Amino acid sequence: MSSVDTTPADTDGLVTIFRRVLETDDVAADSDFFLLGGDSLIATRVLSAVARNYGVELSFEDFVLAPTPAGLVELIAAAR
Amino acid sequence: MTNNRSIHGASSDLIDAFTETVRRYPERPAVVHHGDTLTYRQLGELVRTLAHRLGTGPGVVAVPATHTPDTVVALLGILAAGGAYCPVDPAFPPQRRQDMLAAVGCRTAVGPGIAQPGVRVVELPGTTTGTPAGAQDAPERTGPEQPAYLLFTSGSTGQPKPVVTPRRAISATVDSLRTLFGLTAEDRVLQFASLNWDTCFEEILPTLTGGAALVLDRDAHSGSFPRFLRMVERERIGVLDLPTAFWHELVLHLAEEGLALPECVRLLVIGGEAANPARLADWAALDTGRIRLLNTYGSTETTLITHAVDLHGPLAAARDRPWAAGDRVPIGRALPHVYERISEQGELLIGGPAVALGYLGLPEATADRFTEDAEGVRWYRTGDRVGRAPDGVLTHQGRLDGEFKVRGIRVDPAEVEAHLAGHPGVHAVAVTGTTLAGRSALVAYVVPRAGAAAGTLGADLRTYLRDRVPGHLVPSRITVVPELVLTASGKVDRAGSHRLHSARGAGAGRGTGEGAGAQLPEPEPAHH
Repeated sequence: MSSVDTTPADTDGLVTIFRRVLETDDVAADSDFFLLGGDSLIATRVLSAVARNYGVELSFEDFVLAPTPAGLVELIAAAR
Repeated sequence: MTNNRSIHGASSDLIDAFTETVRRYPERPAVVHHGDTLTYRQLGELVRTLAHRLGTGPGVVAVPATHTPDTVVALLGILAAGGAYCPVDPAFPPQRRQDMLAAVGCRTAVGPGIAQPGVRVVELPGTTTGTPAGAQDAPERTGPEQPAYLLFTSGSTGQPKPVVTPRRAISATVDSLRTLFGLTAEDRVLQFASLNWDTCFEEILPTLTGGAALVLDRDAHSGSFPRFLRMVERERIGVLDLPTAFWHELVLHLAEEGLALPECVRLLVIGGEAANPARLADWAALDTGRIRLLNTYGSTETTLITHAVDLHGPLAAARDRPWAAGDRVPIGRALPHVYERISEQGELLIGGPAVALGYLGLPEATADRFTEDAEGVRWYRTGDRVGRAPDGVLTHQGRLDGEFKVRGIRVDPAEVEAHLAGHPGVHAVAVTGTTLAGRSALVAYVVPRAGAAAGTLGADLRTYLRDRVPGHLVPSRITVVPELVLTASGKVDRAGSHRLHSARGAGAGRGTGEGAGAQLPEPEPAHH
């Protein structure tokens, strides 16, 4: 998938995605998506945004293991 | 089977219909799991073997339900033995699972995962090994009024509230659904819904009594829409049955990517909560004209689906204008096995064979919702207010009680309040439903007890609930507040407390024009 896009994932970009999906500004690099009221349903929006912006398809299982902007940046880097 | 007994009312027993399907289509695929296929003959043998291991009339049988062919075998094997299927989600907290088993007096379990004193564990026949021993007839089954399955709905006391559904209800409903879905032996139907709720029966039972193939695949649950869509294409899925909330997300994804569903999809069934007319407009703008989009309505107490209507596609009524925000999306017309009545208050009542037996061990709760009329017909009060459009379809107008839907699952806010009130740091609590981040969600307002650590109470309560209740009962937002709004009679005013405090909540849920903080949204229709 990386042929689609090679934009490097950065924490700021993931924080922005979290803010948009959770509709809150209260997001930092280490904020846990599920403690901010996220659930499996709207997690799909984060995964769709990651696929679109960075060309990496993560699964919900991946997300649960690293449910923070900083954690996702590492997953995206590792998946490339 | 030699005990092919009399036809009960309009429908023959579900297991007779399955046996007949095995006889007609022995070599057709029944269950496909990551490319491994069980034919109808193989599935029939596994079901018979399990039924023998269970013995005649095993009572309530617990199953740690997962998306595997084993769980399908367990469901059918239990029914073939005359028992009642009772799924217990392995992901639920242990205490919840124990409470569930205790509430239904379960003494038998199938497969691994439920090891408790006093519970006999029956091994599943292996789906990968050779022909199971014995080709005997299935054990003698019990009658149409015997329980087929037990499922737990939300109860105000904080304890699970088991609904008992008899065989005639599931048999009659599955007959109607095969026709509604237009199922043929050529169809391939995705198994998407959790096996711990009843929606999965809509997928499994019409399919396996119609000679079609049931497809299980882990990519259905990955949370990645690109992966989901590739799986649908790869597995040539013709029929999808998705929770409305998930369909909303799928439509957003398709619209943003400018995609349509793969060509193989002919029917998409949705249900669980009100369909959003904005998503319906998005859907109609995509290349979806050949796909039947079928909206469905029903409650656990009235067995899967009682009402349905084609919203879009080849069988939908023509519309004089496109769907737009603010439209009320209809919930449909009664299926052939369903009697309906609308009370003077506008409440929908459901009668006939689809109505469940009641709540196990809760005669008062049962009498409150289930009644019998002068002709001996049993009716269930749905708690849903409905109206009838000129063309006869029903529209949902709101709830008569405080219940609402979270990710398609019905929640009684009193149950969540009861659990929160059990925490030593909580003085008072109000729970209600609202729209957060564009989906239905639970919110809780908590007044701390004097001396409680208010700063960490919200996080503590989230952990506390996670250890005790299923995920859909954990509020998306828990806000610590100094006081709640009370009604004139001194009771907690949930809606009023939400109006007062949502504007200064945890910072989530505003700025999207979804109305959070200003008013409660329209409650969602009940389904399951």
